Amino acid sequence: MLRITHLFLAVLFGAAPALWAAPVSPVAFDDDEEEEEAEEDEDEDEKDHWIAVVGGDVHTGTGAVLRGATVVAKNGVIEEIGWDPWFPEEAEIVDAAGYFVYPGLIAMEAAPGIVQGGGAVEEEDTHGPHGLDTQEIANHLARFATEPQPTQAAIEDSYDPFGQNLILALATGITTTVNGDAAIKLKRREIDDIVMSEGSLQSFTWSRRNPAGKRALREKFERASEYTRELREFEQTKSKDDEEKGPSDKGVDKQVLAVLGGQTRAKFTANDRTDLLSLARFAQEFDFRPVIEGCQEGWTVADELGRAGATAILTPRDTKRAREELQLETGSTIENAAILYRHGVQIAVVPGSPDVNLGGIMGRDLLALPIEVGFAVRGGLPEEAGLASVTTVPARLLGISHRVGTLEEGKDCDLIVTDGDWMHYETFVQYTVVAGKLAYDKQEEVFFSHIRPRPVVEVEETEDETEPAETPDEETEEVDDDDDDDEGENDDEAAGDDEEGADEGEDEESEDEG
Amino acid sequence: MILALTLAVLASDTPAAPGQVGGSGLAIRSAKILTCAREGAGVVDRGVLLVRDGKIEAIERARDLEIPADYELVDVGDKWLMPGIIDLHCHAGAIESLFINDLNDVVYLTNPGLRAWTGTKPGNPRLLTGLQAGVTTVLVIPGSGSSIGGWGVLLKTGHDRYEEMLLRNPGSMKIAQWGNPESWGPGVAKTFETYAIRDAFTRGLAYARRWHAFEEGSGEEPEFDPQWEIFRHLLEKDTQASVHTQVYQVVLKTITQIKGEFGVDVYIDHGSIGAWRAGGIAQEMGVPAILGPRNADTPARGFINWGQLDTEGFKGIAAGYQEMGLELIGFNTDSPVIPQQELPVQATIAARLGFDDSEMQAVRGLTIVPAIAAGIDDRVGSLEVGKDADVLVISGHPADPRSWVQRVWQDGEVVYDSETERRRW
Repeated sequence: MLRITHLFLAVLFGAAPALWAAPVSPVAFDDDEEEEEAEEDEDEDEKDHWIAVVGGDVHTGTGAVLRGATVVAKNGVIEEIGWDPWFPEEAEIVDAAGYFVYPGLIAMEAAPGIVQGGGAVEEEDTHGPHGLDTQEIANHLARFATEPQPTQAAIEDSYDPFGQNLILALATGITTTVNGDAAIKLKRREIDDIVMSEGSLQSFTWSRRNPAGKRALREKFERASEYTRELREFEQTKSKDDEEKGPSDKGVDKQVLAVLGGQTRAKFTANDRTDLLSLARFAQEFDFRPVIEGCQEGWTVADELGRAGATAILTPRDTKRAREELQLETGSTIENAAILYRHGVQIAVVPGSPDVNLGGIMGRDLLALPIEVGFAVRGGLPEEAGLASVTTVPARLLGISHRVGTLEEGKDCDLIVTDGDWMHYETFVQYTVVAGKLAYDKQEEVFFSHIRPRPVVEVEETEDETEPAETPDEETEEVDDDDDDDEGENDDEAAGDDEEGADEGEDEESEDEG
Repeated sequence: MILALTLAVLASDTPAAPGQVGGSGLAIRSAKILTCAREGAGVVDRGVLLVRDGKIEAIERARDLEIPADYELVDVGDKWLMPGIIDLHCHAGAIESLFINDLNDVVYLTNPGLRAWTGTKPGNPRLLTGLQAGVTTVLVIPGSGSSIGGWGVLLKTGHDRYEEMLLRNPGSMKIAQWGNPESWGPGVAKTFETYAIRDAFTRGLAYARRWHAFEEGSGEEPEFDPQWEIFRHLLEKDTQASVHTQVYQVVLKTITQIKGEFGVDVYIDHGSIGAWRAGGIAQEMGVPAILGPRNADTPARGFINWGQLDTEGFKGIAAGYQEMGLELIGFNTDSPVIPQQELPVQATIAARLGFDDSEMQAVRGLTIVPAIAAGIDDRVGSLEVGKDADVLVISGHPADPRSWVQRVWQDGEVVYDSETERRRW
C-alpha cells in the first residue's frame, strides 16, 4: 500500500533534502538486504554462488571498454572485472571469448504479460493513497523493518518466472523492466527479491486541453513549496526543547511535496510543443526536473526542456503530423532524440509496443528495443547515448542506478553477452546473466537457436601456435575488410553531417519565421 | 510538401537542373555504389554515376571514368548510392488518414473494373515521409476486402503531379485470395472465393482473347467492357496479378491456379503463415514473393494457429522461402499497416531472422526484385545504364536502422534533401 523504499532509494541519486531526514532503517537499502542474505546463507552453511563471464570485450557502460576481460560475481554482485581475476573452481562459467559483454538492458515500459506470464491483463493500480507525513513515514519504516511491504508481496505473487515472454525479454537482452510503478529484476526460475524499487515516478497530467487541471496543479505546487519554506524556517529557528508545533501541512499534496523534495520525480505525458514549453517553464519555476513521456515535439523547444533538466521517455519512430495551420515547426522528426540530447535532455528509449508481439509483425515491439534505439542513432543520437537510453538513464528514473545500468564492482551482475555490436540488427544475445546466474542461453532455447547457431568451440591446445600461418588468407579477405572500414567511416561521417544538418535546419527555421 | 511546391515553382521559372530532362549532365561520386543489378556483385567501390536527361548514362569506378567537363560534380564522400526503394503493396497513396479511405470499395465480391489511381493523392504526407526513407516507387493497390479489388497503379513518389508520378497503369490487378474477403456480404469462404476468382478470370480472359483476336485481324470487334479491360493487360503480360495470399494451402493456389492454370504473371504478397514451404514451387513456376509486413512465423502455441504450424521458434518468412530455393524475394509494408518509411525494416527483420544477405539479397529485395516482379526493371530497381535516375544517398546498409537517407534524386531531379528539408521523418 505504501511506497517507502523508493523514497530512500531516491535519496541516493537525487539531492537529499533535510525535509525527509527521518530515521532511516537500513532495511530500506536493498544492498544491505543482500548482504544480510549473504550472511544468512553462510549461517545455513549454503555455498556462495559464483559466476565468471570469461574473456569478452566488456562494455561497462561507464565509457570504459575492457578487451578480453572477465567479469566475476558472487551471490549476484560483481566482485571484479579484470584480466585473469580469481574465482573458485566451482563457479558457473560463461565463455564470452570473441563476444561483447554489455550491462543488461532496462525496459522503461513493459506489458504485464512480460512479468506475469501469458494471459495477464493490465490491472488497476493497487497502490493506496499517499497521504503520509514525515512522522508517519518514520513510523511505517519501523514497521517495515520486520514485515514485507504489501505491494512487493503482491508483485511477487503475480510474477511468472517461467513465462515465455519473460524468456523472450531476456533473449532481447532485457534484465530489468517495470510492473506498474515497480522496477523488476527479470529473474528466471525464482521469485525472491525481484522488486528493486517502487514508485520512483509520480504521474501528473498537464495539457492545454485542460486549463483547469493546470491551474489546480499549479495551486498544489504553490501550496507545497510554501509549506517547504515554512518547514525549513521552522527547523532553522526552533530550539532543541521547543515543543512548538511545526507549520500546518493542511492542504499540502504529499505527492507534490515528494517531487519538490526530490524523493520522487514527476512524470507527465506530453507531445505537443505548447504543452512541452509550458511544462518546461513550470518545472523551472518550481525547481524540479520533469520526466516527459512521448515528447514528440520536444525538438522544437529543446532548449527550454534542457534548462528544466528534463528526461524524455520517447519512441524515436513515433510520428506526429505537423500542424499545417501553424507557421512553426511542429510534428515529429527522427532527429528528436538527438536534438533533445544536444540540449542536455536525458533520453530513455522505449519501443512502440511494450509487449511481445506474437502475431508475426515483428520490428516494433519489446523484442525490437535495440532496433528502436537504432532509429534514435539514425536521427543523430551518439551511440553511447543510445546505450545509456536503455541502461543508465532508465536506471536513474527507476531509482536503481546504484545497482544496475553499468557493469562495475559492487553492482548487480546483470549482463548480456552478444555476438556483435548490441545495436546491430543481426546481433543476437547469446547469454543473459541476471543476478549473477545464467538466465538465458540462445542455444538452449527453441526461439532463436536455429538462426546462425553458435559454433561449437573445439579446444585444441596447439591451435594458438599455428596462428601466424594464416597471413595469405588475410590478403584474400582484404575486400571484406575494406567494406568494414567504409562502414565505420560512414558512421562517423553520419554523426558529423548530422550536426551540420541540424544547424542548417535551425537557420531554415529562422528564415521561415522571417 | 513545401519542398515539393518550391521545386515546382523553381522548375517552372528556372532552367532544368543538372541531371534533369533538358538540363546539363550530373556526375555523382561516392565511396560505394550499390547498383543492385540482378547479375554480378552489384557493387562499385569508389564509383561515379553519370546522369543526363533523367537517365543513368554511365556507372564506373572513378579511376576508369573521366567526368566530362560540362557535368556538374556532386561528391557525396563516404556516403553510399543505391537505387530508389520500391514498395509493391501500398495503400497509403490513397489513404491520408483513418477518415479518408478511398481504396476499399467492397461493392461486389470481384471488382476488376475499379481503379486505384482515381483515389490517389499526390503530395500525400504518408508518401512524402516514405520518400524521406528512400521509397521512390510504390504500387498503390485497392484493399483486400473483396476477392478482386481492381487496378493498382505504379507511382513515383517524388513528383507532385499525378501525370509526373505515373509509372504504369494498371500497375497490377489486386487479388485477395483469402484472409479478408470473408467479411464481404453474406460471408464467404475459401471455396466460394476461389470460385469467384476463377469465374472472373474465365470471363475476363475470354474477353481479352476476343480483343486479341480482333487486333490480330481474325475476329469481330468486341464490345468494350470497362469491367474486363484489365484482363487485356494481363493477357498481354504488360501487368501482373498482385495477390494478397497467406497460408501454405492458399499460396499453393496462387501459384498453381493464377500462374499455372490461367498463365497470368503473378507475385505473392504477404506470403506469410507457414506459406514459405511453397518457396520451391514458386521458384519452379517463376513466381516472386514480396513479403511483409507479417515477417515471422512465431511460436505457434501462444497464438491462433491459422497455418497449423509446428513452429517452436521464430521462423523468418524470408529465410524460409530462401531455404526452399526461391530467388526473387522482396519486401512490402502494406502501408499504412506499417508506415511507408519503415519498408527497410522489413529487410532488417528478415536479415535478423536468418535471411542470407551475404550477396546483398536484402538490398535487392528492396530494389531490383520488386522491379522484376512488377515488370518495371527496365525503368527502376537498379543503377544501370539507361534506367531512370532514381538515386538515394544513404549513410550505410539500408537494412540498418541507423542508416539515414541524405538525398533523393528522382528522374535526375533532387526531390528530397535532408539539408534543405525542414526536418527528417
